[in-house]
Amino acid sequence: MKRKLLLFSQIFIILLLLLSCGKQQDHRFLKIGLHEEPKTLNIWLASDANSKKILSLIYQPLYLRDPETLNLIPWLADGEPKYHPDTISYTVRLKPAKWSDGSDVTSKDVAFTAAIIKEFRVPRYYSSWKFIKKIETPDNHTVRFYLEKPKAIFLTRTLTSSIVSTKEWSDIAQAARTKQKPLIALINHKIEKPMGCGPFVIKKWHRGTYVHLQKNRYFFGLGQDIGGRILGPYVNDLLFKVYGTADVAVLALKKGSIDMFLWGIQPGYIDDLKRQKNIRIFYSKKSAVYFMGFNLRSLPFSDVSLRRAIAVLIDKEFIISRILQNYGTRMDSIVPPGNKYWFCSDVPRYGEGMNRNDRIKTAYHILQKAGYTWETPPVDGSGRVVPGKGIRLPNGQLMEKFTILTPPADYDPLRAMSGMMIQEWLRAFGMPALSRPMAFGALLTQIKGRHEFDAFILGYGRLSMDPDYLRNFFLSANDKERGWNISGYKNPEFDHLAEKSTSEMNRELRKKLIFKMQKIIMRDVPYIPIYDPALIEAVRKDTFTDWVETLDGIGNLWSFCLVKPNPDKTGQKNF
Amino acid sequence: MEIRKFVFKRLIEIFVIFFVILTVLFLLFRLAPGDPVTRMVDPTMTPEDAAHLIAQLGLDQPIWLQYIYYLKNFFTGNFGISFHYGVAVLSIILNRLPNTILLFSTSIVLSAFAGIFLGKIASWHKGKKIDTWMTLGALICHTLFLPWLALIMIWIFGFHVGWFPLNGMITPEIWLDSSSGFWLKFLDIAHHMVLPLATLFLIHFGSYLLLMRSSMLDTLKEDYILTARAKGLTEKVIRNHHAAPNAALPVVTSVGISLAFSLSGGALTETVFSWPGIGRELVFAVSNSDYPLAQASFLLIATVVLISNLVVDVLYAYLDPRIKY
Repeated sequence: MKRKLLLFSQIFIILLLLLSCGKQQDHRFLKIGLHEEPKTLNIWLASDANSKKILSLIYQPLYLRDPETLNLIPWLADGEPKYHPDTISYTVRLKPAKWSDGSDVTSKDVAFTAAIIKEFRVPRYYSSWKFIKKIETPDNHTVRFYLEKPKAIFLTRTLTSSIVSTKEWSDIAQAARTKQKPLIALINHKIEKPMGCGPFVIKKWHRGTYVHLQKNRYFFGLGQDIGGRILGPYVNDLLFKVYGTADVAVLALKKGSIDMFLWGIQPGYIDDLKRQKNIRIFYSKKSAVYFMGFNLRSLPFSDVSLRRAIAVLIDKEFIISRILQNYGTRMDSIVPPGNKYWFCSDVPRYGEGMNRNDRIKTAYHILQKAGYTWETPPVDGSGRVVPGKGIRLPNGQLMEKFTILTPPADYDPLRAMSGMMIQEWLRAFGMPALSRPMAFGALLTQIKGRHEFDAFILGYGRLSMDPDYLRNFFLSANDKERGWNISGYKNPEFDHLAEKSTSEMNRELRKKLIFKMQKIIMRDVPYIPIYDPALIEAVRKDTFTDWVETLDGIGNLWSFCLVKPNPDKTGQKNF
Repeated sequence: MEIRKFVFKRLIEIFVIFFVILTVLFLLFRLAPGDPVTRMVDPTMTPEDAAHLIAQLGLDQPIWLQYIYYLKNFFTGNFGISFHYGVAVLSIILNRLPNTILLFSTSIVLSAFAGIFLGKIASWHKGKKIDTWMTLGALICHTLFLPWLALIMIWIFGFHVGWFPLNGMITPEIWLDSSSGFWLKFLDIAHHMVLPLATLFLIHFGSYLLLMRSSMLDTLKEDYILTARAKGLTEKVIRNHHAAPNAALPVVTSVGISLAFSLSGGALTETVFSWPGIGRELVFAVSNSDYPLAQASFLLIATVVLISNLVVDVLYAYLDPRIKY
């Protein structure tokens, strides 16, 4: 019996080893590593990055941003939208296109998408569509949008929303209407194979392990010249595999188990990856802002002088060079520099190019002028910088200990470490600062829900290309529970400009307003923008080429429409 | 006490404990900072949208009303819909649980067998080199940091030597190929299991070895072992048939409880090996305030732990006739 068991075990082990030797790299698939599994294929529920990435290959918008210029170009639409100022309406023509089941994409689908979003108040979409008064569909390829009032985000957000098929969603919506909680019924409807008109369709989702997408033979862009590029897709199959840790994903990339890791790679891996001859690294700017925010509702941070002094004391260059290892950009405005059109460079650049002593002296002069005093000033009578102690507010009150809330190091080491550095700089100046990491969910509830905080370090990793978030973040009316004005910033001048910017349909005039808003914010510094981390991505260059670089990296729709098998190896592949 | 009475009494206790757990779980998640909607919003979502979503999720109701719905749903077998996946919690658990059971139960059973076997040998050779090396080896393995060991295993056997896959549970290319038969798929899963299994085995077998060794050393001092020797039985028979079965009782308890807790998986193991189990889901559900998923997962674990405790107690009486209830 024992001998039989031993023999069986030996055969089993040999078979397992044979399996590892017998497996060859299958080049039919473009294999992509994901950091986490997508949560859903229901477009209305998808809020995580991975679900959105996959669904962006299936559901398509009317307009898309050009990867180089970042300007909107017609995608599912045929030509530019025509504005009719007399009726505050836009006319959009559609390209001839088909859904993945072969049925036509029509203007009725666009109207249906709008109707479903408005009727169910679908989160994340509703704010971009709620100002549409009505939609007319004079023919199958013409859509006319009537707006309640001029709204700038119509072009940048409404027209870039994905369109869904009436055929796929009408029955689901009908069933949801009969439920007690229609929105929940709609977003919780299980979608196995979404019907889109994009370059790929879902073939199979094996939960927890992989998602298999296949080329959509009905894709409207197939072989077409859009934005000066002849679109594919040039690969038949995409295979998304889940890698729980970046360490293993990087090993998989080096081994050739995946062709691309669809997630930012930490700078620590770069040296190792650079030594691999088959790996190419991409460095992209992100549409992101990481910043320090203050609670302006009470002292001491209601005082702009204190905020400006802190802005001077924060050594952004140090944070970028030591914490981000030079893979990031200094930020001086809330709009990231990568968003070239809307970024205003003519803003106060606190502390730029200063050494530590200069920073302390400048901050000291700002606060001294505003009436602050110290037990031991950080700059002594002879102008030497010394450790400051016991700072008092202009009203004579001793500055109380305050907390800088940050996400924990396991969630984001960059923000946690930045918080610690800022704490040290402020303490050396005599301010009783304490950096305190807090679980991310709790942190958001504390600052956004309850407004119980002094200062915090947060970031938005995926800011929209439209700068309307400036209005959201600082509009007085948004200073409420769950409102986006976390700091409680109130400035009638800013409010006026912000409201004007939402209804300004002329892009150049709106740009001027947005620039003014950036200048005001950087003058009043409710937030101190610190850095925009670089997005580092890696791919295998021996298997696929022609990735498209743009703001926010290479994992974009353009890449998946244009990436091709490496011609040096096509002889042995089956595409 | 008669065994039937004992089981009945324990079942009542289990029900009461279960009800307490049910309530504590509900309160814990509601009192913890953070809420499910906070993580679902982005700057394009207005406070009104968020409020609408909260109302639709039923989270705007008073907490006592939520509790009544929670109890009602639970006792009617409705575990709810995951806030994040938008699908029934039960379907997520049923999808992930078999994977966890497969990996963790196998590792516990293998570790327990190896631990009992080696612990028996170590105690038999107490004070000798073999005992020293085994005890030392067990201590080292037991104290290894799991993610570190897992990455080392992946690095050596998955990357450098290339014998085993780096991670995951299956090779998609094999499963997508319609010509792949049952045995190839079976071997594929077995192939993927080797590294996580080996890692868990190395971490766990040490504790069973040490437990068995210590229990065996106590047993060897018992009078009936002396009697067995006096009867002229061989050392092998005394060790394997008289000492080991009695000494294994604490290990059986430990294995029983470990098997029950194995349902919670191991978030670290599952993360490093990208094993699609319940452990990762549990951590994700807690950190994202996905109340329905987290509650149902914890309740499942609690239920199995309570029942397995009862089973172990009953098994004890069966294995050791001296124990009476």
